[in-house]
Amino acid sequence: MDWLHTWAGVLLGGLLLAVFWTGTLSVFDREIDRWMQPGTRLAEPPAVFSLDRLVLPHAKQVAAGAPVWDITLPTARMPAIQLDYHDPQLGRTRRFIDPRSGDLIPEQGSWGATRFIFPFHFSLHLGWRSIGYWLVGLAGMGMLMLVVSGVVAHRKLFKEFFTFRPRKRLQRSTLDLHNLCGVLALPFHVMISLSGLIIFFLIYFPSATDSLYPEGKQQFQLEALGVYSRLRADEAAPIASLDSMRRQAVEMWADRGPSAEPYMLRVWHPGDRHAYVEVRRSFAREMTMNVDRLIFDGASGALLHQHRTAPITGVQRFFTGLHFIQYDHWTLRWLYFAGGLCGCVMIITGLLFWIGARRERHARRGLLGARLVESLSVASSTGLILATLAFFIANRVLPMPGDNSRAALEGSAFFLVWLLALMHGAIRSKQAWGDQLWAIVAFACSAVALNWLSTGDHLLRSLNAGMWAVAGMDLMLLVLAGMSALVARRISQAEPQTPRLRQGYKHGEF
Amino acid sequence: MRAVPGKLFLWRRRIAIAARLTAAFGGGYVCTAALVGSGALLLTLLGGLPRSEAVTLSAMLGFVLYLLLLIWSFTEPKLWRVCALPLAGVLLGTALNYWLAPALTARTLVGY
Repeated sequence: MDWLHTWAGVLLGGLLLAVFWTGTLSVFDREIDRWMQPGTRLAEPPAVFSLDRLVLPHAKQVAAGAPVWDITLPTARMPAIQLDYHDPQLGRTRRFIDPRSGDLIPEQGSWGATRFIFPFHFSLHLGWRSIGYWLVGLAGMGMLMLVVSGVVAHRKLFKEFFTFRPRKRLQRSTLDLHNLCGVLALPFHVMISLSGLIIFFLIYFPSATDSLYPEGKQQFQLEALGVYSRLRADEAAPIASLDSMRRQAVEMWADRGPSAEPYMLRVWHPGDRHAYVEVRRSFAREMTMNVDRLIFDGASGALLHQHRTAPITGVQRFFTGLHFIQYDHWTLRWLYFAGGLCGCVMIITGLLFWIGARRERHARRGLLGARLVESLSVASSTGLILATLAFFIANRVLPMPGDNSRAALEGSAFFLVWLLALMHGAIRSKQAWGDQLWAIVAFACSAVALNWLSTGDHLLRSLNAGMWAVAGMDLMLLVLAGMSALVARRISQAEPQTPRLRQGYKHGEF
Repeated sequence: MRAVPGKLFLWRRRIAIAARLTAAFGGGYVCTAALVGSGALLLTLLGGLPRSEAVTLSAMLGFVLYLLLLIWSFTEPKLWRVCALPLAGVLLGTALNYWLAPALTARTLVGY
């Protein structure tokens, strides 16, 4: 099991880091969105507002020809009404509407975390034949295998867990930190990997529906997820009241608890006589991301179809909810964040330990292994953090009233800096760690400064005004800068001390 | 001083590792996928589950099965067993699919 743990870790470590890092950030995707889309830094939404009055006029104007309108209701984390639709020129488009004034908030020109970091987490933005999904799935299975083999490889788990010697030789401390993070978050890592895989069971096991659904997957989705569909009539008809549909939904879900209310309305074929509206039930107060849906006729407002989550689909959606953590629970959200960071630290220390044990030996024998793994590790840890920070900085630097390519430019900044970090790692090898750690300090501080300069929301003001998302983001960036500086200092101190410490150490290499 | 392993030995070892990896990841996946498909069929026919529920349950259990197969593949000392078990699983799954699919069609036709 030891060699399995070692090799699976070395081969999958970089990929796992990318998935863990973006997943950890996605825990706070809505908060990052507020930081990156300053126009949506609004106060908590009012309890009562009218979709008919606030949303429909805007939708008819900006998304007249769109086949589907997605209207997501505001929450404390996402205080604007969100309108998503497909624009023939711009592609997938998201607009925000202020639920107090009903104003259409100007185009924010940014994908934010929900449309860049979060999709990267499960698709790596590799669209071709969903290869990204399969790579992430492989990483997920690999992670489960690594956890199991890790428990076997580190037989004295309990003892190792209580052993942390940060002042010892760097290699020793690295392994201690690996064990500490691995054991501390072990249940979380098992849960998050397994639930992540279960979300995409249809992608990973297409064979599951093959024999039972000869008519195709759409039928499965209709039965399991209540996906209703009907063709356009190609005759115009005005749309019925969305507000009355919301009211009806609350009444019909009364048996599902006092807080059962819609969180999203999807209007299909708006303006057509065959328009229909799918009303989805919120899961803000429950773990299971239910698939309770009501379908109303778009023209008459009459109920066409209703769907309730079946028991086993409920279990699958429970795992989904466990992974997505979209319900209202701040303590848990922070714990998820900590668990994710533990995962990142565990993976990178594992890689560092492997490299540290081989760096000199491989260099002596002219082997490429350690050098190659080191530059890939640099790119997938400090390099990825730099890329993320470049994404944030680009967001604050690019001119605001930009055209639709602005959001894509932010994405390019991410990939460009990532590539540069990889090249830098390949050239500078061991020295790259220090360089990139100090670069992180500079990048993170400038992101905070740029947020202040471009929006005026400096830390004191955001804390005072209760803009927790913005304040939290700035604070976390500063914490990141501080931690990076500490680590950079620690590794630069470690180097000259190594020979002295080694004298008293029995196993030079293990 | 350890004896330096010969070139032939090294190559045999590499091929054995490659075969084990292929059998574990590839064979394990194909075997799991086949069993997930036939498992869903069995759950509907024998367990009386609605077919959408059967598909979801079977696929979720598939991840656990795949993990167990993977771990077993790297602990089982005999390589031939690591190759034979997924093969047996694929045969079983395909056979079940072959025999059970007509029964399902018949039941759908008479409307239970």
